[in-house]
Amino acid sequence: MMAKKHRIDANDSMVHEILGNVWGSPFRIVFTAVLMLLVLFPLYWLFSSAFKIRAEYLANPPLLIPHVFTMENIKTVLSMNGLGRQFMNSMIVSLSSTAISLLFGSMAAYSLVRGKFSNLTRQIFGLWFMIQKMYPAIATAIPIYLVMRKLQLIDTLPALIIMNTSFNLPLVIWLMMGFFAQVPIEMEESARIDGCHFLSRFFYVVFPVTKSGIVAAGILAFVGAWNEFLFAVILSINKSKTLPVVIAGFITDKGLDWGPMAATSLISLLPVLVLVYLCQKQFVEGLAMGAVKG
Amino acid sequence: MNGTEIRKGNRGRGERLWSWLFLLPTILFLGFTALLPLLYSLYLSLFQYKINLPNAVPKFIGIGNYLRMLQDKNLGVSVGNTVLFAVVSVSLELVLGLLAAMMLCGTKRIYRIFTSLLLIPMIMAPVAIGTLFRMMLDGSTGIINYLLHFVGVPQMNWLSNPKTAMPAVIFVNVWQLIPWVCIITMAGLKSLPQDALEAARVDGAKNRHIFFQIVLPMISPLLIIVLMLRFVDAFKVFDTIYTMTNGGPGNATEMLPNYIYKQGLKFFDAGYTAALAMAFVFSMTIVSFLFLRWRKAVEERVL
Repeated sequence: MMAKKHRIDANDSMVHEILGNVWGSPFRIVFTAVLMLLVLFPLYWLFSSAFKIRAEYLANPPLLIPHVFTMENIKTVLSMNGLGRQFMNSMIVSLSSTAISLLFGSMAAYSLVRGKFSNLTRQIFGLWFMIQKMYPAIATAIPIYLVMRKLQLIDTLPALIIMNTSFNLPLVIWLMMGFFAQVPIEMEESARIDGCHFLSRFFYVVFPVTKSGIVAAGILAFVGAWNEFLFAVILSINKSKTLPVVIAGFITDKGLDWGPMAATSLISLLPVLVLVYLCQKQFVEGLAMGAVKG
Repeated sequence: MNGTEIRKGNRGRGERLWSWLFLLPTILFLGFTALLPLLYSLYLSLFQYKINLPNAVPKFIGIGNYLRMLQDKNLGVSVGNTVLFAVVSVSLELVLGLLAAMMLCGTKRIYRIFTSLLLIPMIMAPVAIGTLFRMMLDGSTGIINYLLHFVGVPQMNWLSNPKTAMPAVIFVNVWQLIPWVCIITMAGLKSLPQDALEAARVDGAKNRHIFFQIVLPMISPLLIIVLMLRFVDAFKVFDTIYTMTNGGPGNATEMLPNYIYKQGLKFFDAGYTAALAMAFVFSMTIVSFLFLRWRKAVEERVL
């Protein structure tokens, strides 16, 4: 284990030494500085606008550093009709769809990797799930809208949970297939010889050793559902609005309410920020894995 | 047949049954929420159907909706816009993202901190990014105009000027996705085999040489995948466009998803929307297929 870690570090510094200095170190310093400034400045602006008073977020010329720090915007949006409810809507939709897609998706992935299928069956389903990951969501917007209207599910949370699960399933399947394929087959063989059948092998043998994969897929699914906008705006009128719909609403309804708008964006960013930084390693691993396999 | 073989046979059948049972929830779920709606779209695309009228009855018009697409000038404009947007923003993202990965791919603590900070644009809601930049690009109170006036750029209404709106939405897309390209390519760079690089260094090859002759060919299959995922994704851009310009001014930033959305949920023209959606899915499938073949060709050349 130590030896392995050492090798990775050596590799890392090797790559860093060569690639960071392809154009010399002044270039590296300037590029990195400009990049970080460009990335961080808008985030600073979001943060500072959320705590500016109205006169200052509408000031012309704009104020780089606010003179007055206020919690007014945060208070306004929190007391605003229903932001608590909309926050809970987002939470319920994201958590439920993540849970369902993790369960069903990893079952499907396990079955495709280790189940008893002919190669053709495996390929057909593999292809289907891959296409599912690529095709534009807008393609099914109208049929889904019509069916949800018929089922009287417009403006309800189940409609959003169903749709987000549908978007997340292919992603979870794709990632988990990669993680399950890494589980040594001998481990399962010996469990099988001991009389441990498919279902218990999945839950007791394979699931525990792919924990970090589950976490990776779970974070990606949660972030995706938390930020999903297209179907949230199509399928909600009022009661089932999620945070992205509220944020977009600031544009159409109240042109220049930058302060409350920034405050709402900040509130919506916080949960995913905490989640991603708590499990940063798995998040990055999941991202990389999804792309490399894709 | 002896006892063990019978048991084995039973177990094989059991395994097969369980395999299907594990796949079943997903088949049902995706079947009802993705595959059937797609087929329903295909069916609807052959009808004229206005869904805002309460008692509207779909009227069969064959390929009428598809013929209408050929004469739809606004559709032509959105296709052109989408292609321009995708090509320019994805090229910038790929080059700058790879550069960022090379520069930040280090063991020093500071690089790891920078890399973590890069994650933020990636996890922020795209609508929040759109509204944030709408605020920053605002003609009178926007910070971007203010900062640019120091370097002599005249004040302007970035998002309501047809000439600057497209560069502005491209800039925002690049800002949003450089981090993603950077994280993915960095993972690729870190998994390069050390021996090849070591050997080149021992032979006295220059850094630049190692990058262009060894590293770049080795990561090119990954770069093609990144290119494909980004390209397909750029065609699906919706949230940031919807919040920043909603396709305007005029149709200067009208992109396909936004156009399809408007046909369906503003003009309630379900048949035409479905036809547009089908054509969109079809072209995306072709594009992905071409990219996958390209990667295969490159991989064969590299390996």
